[in-house]
Amino acid sequence: MDMRFTPGEQAFRDQVRAFLQAELDADLARKVRLHQPLTKAEMEGWHAKLSAQGWLAGNWPREFGGAGWTAIERHIFEEESARAHAPRIVPFGIAMLGPVLQKFGSKEQQDHWLPRILNGDDWWCQGYSEPGAGSDLAGLRCRAERQGDHYVVNGQKTWTTLGQHANMIFCLVRTSTEGKKQEGISFLLIDMTTPGVTVRPIVLLDGTAEVNEVFFDDVKVPTENLVGEENQGWTYAKYLLTHERTNIAGVGFATAALENLKRVAQAQVHRGRPLADDPLFAAEMASVEIELMAMSTTNLRMLSAAAQGQAPGIESSMLKIKGTQIRQRLDALTRRAYGGWALALPATGNEGQPEGADEVLSASATWLNNRKLSIYGGSNEIQRSIIAGALAKG
Amino acid sequence: MDFQLSDDHRMLQDSLRGILTRHSGGALWPALVEAGVPAALLTEDEGGFDGSGAAVALIFEEMGRAGVALPLAGTMIGAAAMAQAGQPAEDGAIVAFADAEPGTRYDRGVAIRALGDRLTGRKTMVAGAEDAAAIVVTTADALWLVRPGAEGMSLRGYPLIDGQRGADLGFDATPAMRLGSLADFDGPMARGVLAHAALALGTITAAVNLTLDYLRTRKQFGQPLVSFQALAHRAADLAVEVEQARSAVINLAGHLDDDAPLRDRHLQACKVTVGRVARIVAEETVQMHGGIGMTEEYALAAMVRRLLAADAAMGDADWHLERFARGEPAWA
Repeated sequence: MDMRFTPGEQAFRDQVRAFLQAELDADLARKVRLHQPLTKAEMEGWHAKLSAQGWLAGNWPREFGGAGWTAIERHIFEEESARAHAPRIVPFGIAMLGPVLQKFGSKEQQDHWLPRILNGDDWWCQGYSEPGAGSDLAGLRCRAERQGDHYVVNGQKTWTTLGQHANMIFCLVRTSTEGKKQEGISFLLIDMTTPGVTVRPIVLLDGTAEVNEVFFDDVKVPTENLVGEENQGWTYAKYLLTHERTNIAGVGFATAALENLKRVAQAQVHRGRPLADDPLFAAEMASVEIELMAMSTTNLRMLSAAAQGQAPGIESSMLKIKGTQIRQRLDALTRRAYGGWALALPATGNEGQPEGADEVLSASATWLNNRKLSIYGGSNEIQRSIIAGALAKG
Repeated sequence: MDFQLSDDHRMLQDSLRGILTRHSGGALWPALVEAGVPAALLTEDEGGFDGSGAAVALIFEEMGRAGVALPLAGTMIGAAAMAQAGQPAEDGAIVAFADAEPGTRYDRGVAIRALGDRLTGRKTMVAGAEDAAAIVVTTADALWLVRPGAEGMSLRGYPLIDGQRGADLGFDATPAMRLGSLADFDGPMARGVLAHAALALGTITAAVNLTLDYLRTRKQFGQPLVSFQALAHRAADLAVEVEQARSAVINLAGHLDDDAPLRDRHLQACKVTVGRVARIVAEETVQMHGGIGMTEEYALAAMVRRLLAADAAMGDADWHLERFARGEPAWA
């Protein structure tokens, strides 16, 4: 047993830190730290810097222009990026669609779409959930009918994150209603500038419009935009979800949130002394820190097993549950640390806000926004059912 | 980063599993001694041949899985302390570690005090004291060696909750040899915490596995229990917590020989995590079994009792959490 990173991994960590030090703009890092919405240009600017360094697609093999990092290297990059408050890499093209095209796409699709993702030519979003198909995703009804050399798409997608910036959407659509519901689903790439596509924002608990509804009304999609085979989309969707979950533990985000919480608890006054010295609050902070110490090692154990070729099983579901519980506990403690100072509404706009309270507003906004953590990517209840399903088999 | 067992440790694990399958009762201790298990818990300097975090963790996890109730942790701590003080214990001898005191949670020196080289007062819950060749006793700030039957010493034996025999020890100006100050023995003490935590991890694993077997086979309303979501999700939560406990044990095992501040942080985190999970598992596995989980005859009963014991030994989750929160060292 050896818990140390290899010298090569240590050197890689130093390289990532040096890059972040040199390239990450302080104002941008501040916005990320305060969970303020980034503009499209800010996100694209960060992608461009990473792309120039060859680091935008750490998860892609080198043959497709990726960095070909190991799972441990990806973990190091994600951890250091989160601690430095770098913008998160928008996952839809890089983390989700890329691996699907590499595995199931045609040569033409790979040659056309993959370089465009790396160059930032396209902004992808994900068309999975529907009003009637959330946790029961295979119940989706958005329909694609084949008519000669194109499909005609009708229906609705929802919870489309950052869809307001996107020009492309990858969608699960129903191409058959025969057999099991999983067997009639196809994976389609849709140009959002096509007539008949409408995007409407959904304002969330924290007052921001991060997600959208997307409507399709007789939208014509060329058949060459079908990925893999018709009615086999569920297989590709499941493959995508395993990639969506590679950074599921969110150790870096939790570490950054813990550091922030400790700073806040040191600065806030409680009964005439720092809140951090209050035994009750200190015990709560210690207890979540201890959870994070264990979860961080659980994460490394699973990454290390993956690096040795073991297929990921229920581990990612376990990390999803524990990782999101820890982050939500940290968010809750941070918000509570402000006590009565956290009453203002953290909305954007020009209605005014209390003086010097950026971080307080951020604590409320973060709490509100991060309720999503235990809901998206398969809710924690879905993850429990996945785990229990495996346990039931013994 | 490598979480695999070394070849040596894999062999040790195999041989240990064989012994635990073949031997039980009074025959087990001699078999373990013959196979060199107590010696594997000590470093070469202490007269053993390993003493690494990985070895201690794997040995005690196997003990926990198998439900062994032997004073191995106390023997390890006591023998290591004695060797460190130049008073090595006899090979294969049981050493009792007398730490807990009546009337206090985990304070030391409340019920016992040293005057010169004599001890007066009481120790309690001393596992293996009736069979011990030597007793290592803690006071407020030191470790002492007492020989069984020493002048002024009394012993009253009784069963412990984990299946071992324990004893109350009384001292009345009993002659003792001072091994050194408590702070000098933070290494053996840390290894002792790892032993208790790994023992608990083994028990946790056994109790959860037993419960999962039950959920898969027991039917109500015509369905196996595991098909009821109320139980399935709780089983999933237990599986998640077991991984947390395992990681906490690995963290302490991996940092056992690091500098004291870092080691103690992992020691506290380990005891907090394993203690918390042990309590959850004890409560949840009984509930998920239903009535059968209440019976002493069923295998779960002994496991639940051992889980309670593992949390209570050498500072429970609350005690270590407070020290972690205050940034204090593990002891003193």
